[in-house]
Amino acid sequence: MHFLKPETHTRRAFLRRSGHLAIAGTASPFAMSLAAMSEAAAFNATDYKALVCVFLLGGNDYANTVVAYDDANYGKYNAIRAAGAGSASSIALPKTSLAATRLEPRTALAGGRQYALHPSMPGLTKLFNDGAAAVQLNVGPLVVPLTKVQYYSGNTTKYPLPPKLFSHNDQQSVWQSSSPEGSTIGWGGNIGDLALSGNTNSLFTCISLAGNSVYLAGDQALQYQCSPSGAVSAKALKNPFFYEPVMRSAFAELIQQSSSHVLENEYNKVTRRAIAAEAQVSSGIAGVTLKTPFPSGNSLAGQLKVVAQLIGAREKLGNKRQVFMVQLGGFDLHDNLISKQPGLMQQVSEALSAFYSATVELGVASSVTSFTASDFGRTLTSNGDGSDHGWGGHHLVVGGAVNGKSFYGTPPPISVGSTGAPDDQWHVGQGRLLPTTSVDQYAATLAQWFGVAPTELGGVLPNLRNFGEEGGRPDYPVNLGFLRTV
Amino acid sequence: MKMYSTKEAQSTPAVVTPCMASEARPAPNKLHESNESAFYSSDDAYSPASWSVVSVALLAACGGGGAPEEMTNIGATSPAYQPLLGSSSQPVPSQLAATSTALLTADELMNWAEGAFSVYFPGRSSTQISGSLAYRFYSQTGNYIGVLGSDVLVLGPPTDNKVITVGKLFDFADQVAASGNVQKLTAEEAARFLLQAQFSSSDAEIAAVRQKGFSTWLDEQHNLSRSQSAWDWLVAQGYSAVDINEYFFSTYPGDFASWYQIMGAPDPVRQRAALALSEFFVVSLGGVSDSMNWASFGVARYWDILCTHAFGNYRSLLEDISLSPVMGAYLNTKGNRKEDPASGRVPDENYAREVMQLFSIGLNQLNLDGTPKLNGAGQPLDSYTQADVSNLARVFTGYDIDNTLARSVSPKPPYFQINNIEAARIPMLLDPRQHSPLEKSFLGVTIPANTPGQESLKIALDTLFNHPNVGPFLGRQMIQRLVTSNPSPAYVARVASAFNSNTKGVRGDLGHMFKTILLDEEARGAAGLTSPTFGKLREPMVRIAQWGRTFKIRSLYGYWKIFNAINSNNVQDSLAQSPLQAPSVFNFFRPGYVPPSSVLASSKATAPEFQIVNESTTSSYINYLQGIVALGFGSTDPSVPQIVQGSTAPYVPMLVPDYSVELGIVHDTEALIKRLNLLLCAGQLSASTQQFIAKALAIDRPTIEKSADFKRYHLARAILFVMCSAEYLVQK
Repeated sequence: MHFLKPETHTRRAFLRRSGHLAIAGTASPFAMSLAAMSEAAAFNATDYKALVCVFLLGGNDYANTVVAYDDANYGKYNAIRAAGAGSASSIALPKTSLAATRLEPRTALAGGRQYALHPSMPGLTKLFNDGAAAVQLNVGPLVVPLTKVQYYSGNTTKYPLPPKLFSHNDQQSVWQSSSPEGSTIGWGGNIGDLALSGNTNSLFTCISLAGNSVYLAGDQALQYQCSPSGAVSAKALKNPFFYEPVMRSAFAELIQQSSSHVLENEYNKVTRRAIAAEAQVSSGIAGVTLKTPFPSGNSLAGQLKVVAQLIGAREKLGNKRQVFMVQLGGFDLHDNLISKQPGLMQQVSEALSAFYSATVELGVASSVTSFTASDFGRTLTSNGDGSDHGWGGHHLVVGGAVNGKSFYGTPPPISVGSTGAPDDQWHVGQGRLLPTTSVDQYAATLAQWFGVAPTELGGVLPNLRNFGEEGGRPDYPVNLGFLRTV
Repeated sequence: MKMYSTKEAQSTPAVVTPCMASEARPAPNKLHESNESAFYSSDDAYSPASWSVVSVALLAACGGGGAPEEMTNIGATSPAYQPLLGSSSQPVPSQLAATSTALLTADELMNWAEGAFSVYFPGRSSTQISGSLAYRFYSQTGNYIGVLGSDVLVLGPPTDNKVITVGKLFDFADQVAASGNVQKLTAEEAARFLLQAQFSSSDAEIAAVRQKGFSTWLDEQHNLSRSQSAWDWLVAQGYSAVDINEYFFSTYPGDFASWYQIMGAPDPVRQRAALALSEFFVVSLGGVSDSMNWASFGVARYWDILCTHAFGNYRSLLEDISLSPVMGAYLNTKGNRKEDPASGRVPDENYAREVMQLFSIGLNQLNLDGTPKLNGAGQPLDSYTQADVSNLARVFTGYDIDNTLARSVSPKPPYFQINNIEAARIPMLLDPRQHSPLEKSFLGVTIPANTPGQESLKIALDTLFNHPNVGPFLGRQMIQRLVTSNPSPAYVARVASAFNSNTKGVRGDLGHMFKTILLDEEARGAAGLTSPTFGKLREPMVRIAQWGRTFKIRSLYGYWKIFNAINSNNVQDSLAQSPLQAPSVFNFFRPGYVPPSSVLASSKATAPEFQIVNESTTSSYINYLQGIVALGFGSTDPSVPQIVQGSTAPYVPMLVPDYSVELGIVHDTEALIKRLNLLLCAGQLSASTQQFIAKALAIDRPTIEKSADFKRYHLARAILFVMCSAEYLVQK
């Protein structure tokens, strides 16, 4: 192994973050100072804000989550997914089951397009129709705006593709960090980097309830990992196993020692962090009692409850800006889509609804924004009783600051055809959506609401320069408008 | 004939031709200029009459039995031979040519050969070094012997003046050792080897390795016949009964079986290899239990497949796992049907994708040394496309588990129909009517339309098996599981070469691959013991299996109730890992995982096991260990096989450690730590850590007269100290 000098790394991080890595050799001190100044300005606010990433592991089936509802498009959807009239292996949802979860946007979509959420999502339907949730249509990783012809051109110099499309682990990583497996810096963590100095206890800037996720790793920001039961303590440090207090202290010292071996040192560093934070987190959470009921037997709700408690303890823990991550697994439904997706959708809906209610209870509804993300969307075609790995998908944004009751982005044509017809241009085979909105645009919109200045966005989202006015593509704006920026 | 080298160039005859036919062979003078070395031969040489004698003798020495002609072919195809050919198409990892291993140096080998085969290598010749080659020349006979990397080469009249690889250094190590030419292994060296090759080390095993040498001992373990299969163990425990306990729906028998296998089964070297393979060819008990009956038996069968082929051939393993019912249920080959143009239905792509991405070739085209091949812009080259996936998916259509066998009925309401248990064991069946008749084009191979399913499968699996990625892709990950998180490219190349060709030229010999991993200089050499980056974090489940085996855990009641140790309902005591319970087919962690926000991140150094290290699991591991270390695993109902719902019986010890030796020295802190350090850490606790722990234990050191309970807890505290120290956790 060859290790870079840490100081080199830090300098590199600074340059990258301030958008000057490409011209590192020539960046004028003046330009760099400007970047630093704007960085400091962004987080001088005294209010509180939190971003919560809700990751749906395995690749959620977009077509049965935000379902085509108008007759024309439902008909196409049903024809593709039903696998023959009356077939037992249909993966189409019956239209009658969708009436109760029909979405009623403020402004009707062009072309008479209508959507309904999955029938097991009444909670999120209500949030949408009440104005506290929005739907971002067909969003997915892009390096540059892309047409189907460009995708198939093979000219990856001019039309670069996101790396390792359709691969679970890599697309999880790309969604979170723009890079495949092995990536070490995510955009949630980069946003956290900018917020570090505003928080009294910087360790709690980025908190994961989802284990190690590159999303929350910044250049400086660490992800503190909390369990759905709160902070986990080593019992031997508290109970009488060690008999003599002096012996207990010796044990505590041993497991936190630094070492010249990098793996040993890294392990004990995590142990040190765990021990240092445990008491603070435990007492912080213990001081927050929520009246809002969270559904039991719902692991996502369990995680979001702890997030709500941590938000409730924000002053005690010394935080003004926080980025959280929670997750739910099981979405890779190659089989049993019809039997298994309802339970998952119900958990998502109930967990997010409860969490939103908790933020209302805590008086921070407009300060907390939750959004969904997933490895990828799936195919529109059926493989018998499920769907396969895709690309773009539909996602939900929830919170009091959301310009809700609205759709953002472009409704994709319902199509699996491979002709040159316009309707066949927005999928790359079997209904794998070619995204019309990039994850970078989605993330930039969230980041700007959070307080990241426009000059800092490039350092957080490296591909953003290919989008928006500055990228020469005003049709792919860097602020999608689903959040109020006041 | 002559050896062509920088030193002997002057005496080289005028007619010099490369020893082997090769399109890529460079001109001799070019080789000379680049200071590369090679054996060369001339055509006007001696008759090869006596070769069979020396070759058979040397082959016998290295445990092989092939004919000399075969060996000639090995030389021609062995990737390790590329430096000799001077081919420029393949980068030669610089360390490929290290001229010694910790087992045996080139000189030790050649000294021995002079004694053992003095007819061919008469007298005492001095060693010549040329580039990466160490060799000796015997003018009386015209023979050469040399060592290149770990390959032992000979050349001379008896070989028809062709360079022949007669084996690896380690093939000869034990005989050389027996001849008294090398120093005996230390106990620490033996323990270090044991902890990589299996889970634990004992006094007897350390003595055996020291006496027999690494290679012989390992061969013996490889040749041990399989212990009782996991399937048979489950049957013997009573879990095949169709009764009120509904084992056909339960996953806990499967957890008990896999914990028993890694912690109690009597063939730990095989079990260790199977566990490493189970993290490459991943299935998950929790992920299949609602897709099939008898899931516990399904994964037990899967474990048996891994054990059966652990030292066999990758190709057979790949076929058996592809058709195993549990894999069918996990990655959706079970019930996968051909396309239906009328409805637009297409085959399920899941297995086709993951068998390529995870079980064989990976996403990137690889060099022999595991580094990615790059395009002109410096980007890795993909090894397949979506079209390859969609086409290969057709190969895996038409399969299902056998649903024709007699069913039984659950004795409990609502009286479910239960599949025959055999359906969880036998390979999935092919229904030709549901197999895609379309052409299948992938990875440059086209299976014509209407090719029968079995033939399609054979072509597909052969294609994957013969892809050049498999050796480096699998080899690097197996090194990571057993030895070190960041093997050098040269180490990967040596292991990949071993996969590509064993001593008989056979591709895919997993026993040879594992042996090469364990006997490599990088695994055995002392350099790793002082390097600040060498080694790997011991996996939590390996630590617990090690604890159980080291202290000879045994069941007081015959049952083995160790549950899934990933406990999401009780994260305080979760081990975060349990055999055959990965959260997805991507295993507990990824081989390319780089811990963010660490010094490793700045160098892109991988540390897969750190993907499950966080502020919760560092503590919960200590809690899990504390829960078992004094008294072992307990149970409320240890004398019955099933879980008793709502049991109010007291919790009593069920699986208990045998601490008799350690309790005998518990009053002697120094001796106790020395023993724990040797058995658990192969002596890798530093002197300062040993002193630190000794000082801490001295606080309440038990005297002879203190109670038995006190002594037991004192020992438990000592073990907790050792097994929670970073110097133990990171295995070097």
